[in-house]
Amino acid sequence: MFDPKEFEHLRKLCRLQCTPEEEAQLFESLKNVIGYVEQLDEVNTEGVPSCNYVLRGMLKNQMRDDEIKDLLPREEFLGQAPDQIAGMVKVPSILKEAP
Amino acid sequence: MSLHQLSATQLRDAFLKGEVKAVAIAEHFLKRIETHDKELGSFLSVLGERMLLKAEQLDRKKAQNLPIGKLAGIPIAIKDNMHIQGELTTCASKFLSHYRAPFNATAVRLLEEEGALIIGKANMDEFAMGSTNENSAYFPANNPWNLNCVPGGSSGGSAASVAARLALLATGSDTGGSVRLPGSFCGIVGYKPTYGRVSRYGLVAFGSSLDQIGPLATTVEDVALMMEVIGRHCPHDATSLDLPSETYTKRLDLKDIKFGVPRQFLEGLNSEARKNFDQSLLVMKDLGAKIIDVDLDILKYSVAVYYILATAEASTNLARFDGIRYGNRSKAAKDLEEVYELSRKEGFGSEVKRRILLGTYVLSSGFHDAYYKKAQKVRTVMIDAFEKAFNECDAILTPVATNSAYEKGSMRDPLQLYLQDIFTIPANLGGLPAISVPSGYDDRGMPLGLQICGPQMCDVPVLDYAYAYEQATKHMRIPERYQR
Repeated sequence: MFDPKEFEHLRKLCRLQCTPEEEAQLFESLKNVIGYVEQLDEVNTEGVPSCNYVLRGMLKNQMRDDEIKDLLPREEFLGQAPDQIAGMVKVPSILKEAP
Repeated sequence: MSLHQLSATQLRDAFLKGEVKAVAIAEHFLKRIETHDKELGSFLSVLGERMLLKAEQLDRKKAQNLPIGKLAGIPIAIKDNMHIQGELTTCASKFLSHYRAPFNATAVRLLEEEGALIIGKANMDEFAMGSTNENSAYFPANNPWNLNCVPGGSSGGSAASVAARLALLATGSDTGGSVRLPGSFCGIVGYKPTYGRVSRYGLVAFGSSLDQIGPLATTVEDVALMMEVIGRHCPHDATSLDLPSETYTKRLDLKDIKFGVPRQFLEGLNSEARKNFDQSLLVMKDLGAKIIDVDLDILKYSVAVYYILATAEASTNLARFDGIRYGNRSKAAKDLEEVYELSRKEGFGSEVKRRILLGTYVLSSGFHDAYYKKAQKVRTVMIDAFEKAFNECDAILTPVATNSAYEKGSMRDPLQLYLQDIFTIPANLGGLPAISVPSGYDDRGMPLGLQICGPQMCDVPVLDYAYAYEQATKHMRIPERYQR
């Protein structure tokens, strides 16, 4: 059963915060949609393989040579980064000093 | 006749014959955007200067008798989830409001190599999630037939711009009907090719086992013309079909063609849509086709399968939007965890959040087998059912939607909205080519569409059937407001 505890766990898995109003609305709609998709239980799928590739008879490896190409210059890449330092992407500190 | 009243093919021919200059075409359509797009909202950005520059180059090439391509001089809108190098790709999301594409999408490159003139980036539902265009984080696009109505989604801006003749071609992307539904709601042609026919390199991914780029145009001939250009193998997309590009014929009769109609599956149609569909079947019979019943009852589970698989794939694809390398990074974030959580909170709209949550749920430990794996198996059952049906018929006919375009704001419940896609989703689950062709108008004067769906790899026959139907009916019109 999809309950608020489940929702909170899910939100953390998604690395996602929501506003309180949004959270109430999302919880309700998720509960509805999850209830709806459970109708798939009616379909007998015993012995049926998973669909891992949709086109029948077309599955083959797509190989190409591993060539080195300069597709994205460093400056251009860094130009997209929200923050940078000394030619690298800068992020807030990950490791904290021991107290 | 004014330039915007021509089809894309006719306009190209006029340009090739020297009856009109590319710069004049660009100026004409840019002026139309200036006049009409405030009320229509079909473009997120207009690339006026770039377009005029390309048009000048094209005029020079033509003057020098250099080769100028199959799409020379045709103004085209690009959905804002496809990259044009150096220009914004926002996906109608706040998360990417400043993101500039570092390379060209293959489809975009191919279109420009053939002389198409890109006019702007078309509005859409955020990350292509929605069927009304109301999920754009910037502003909704409106329906050219009635500005109070939705244009359909997610390629709503693409469809609205072509229906109002602000462009004569547009690219869309179709994960569960996002080209065909807005095509139908706006009274134009929308086509989803066989999975893998068009390269997705440079298309921002949503549901990778379902996504396919497709054309929106005013005629089937224009759709076919664009398919000849973009339906090619591309080494940058591992799912791109390694097959030569196809040319499309113009077939006018449908003798010996058998169309299947999944009667049980068509429950839930409103009476106008049903009447319209029955009329289309009569047209097909007059063209020489046989109509038979096919059993595709399993398709009633399409929406359930789709909203498990599409959201699972979306939650995976959208994990890359973490605020680290590009896109929005929250200024309020104090540690790394907050960079993720707050950047995504600020950057994503509610529908995107809903789908990330749902997709993560169906993939999460303890639920994976019951939801995701189960849906993958039911998808196999559906593909089997399609194969069986296609042993009995050449293509399947259904309406595109249960109704015509409705008023903005009238559909609020997410599940009700998801159920809107019931007739379009099966083609994505089956990897099948499917086209939406104008089939007339309801008593509100809003357009309706017929969907023709063929077996995998049968893109050419599907366009042939659509062409024959279109030539026999000629339902396509320009909305009164945009004729001049």
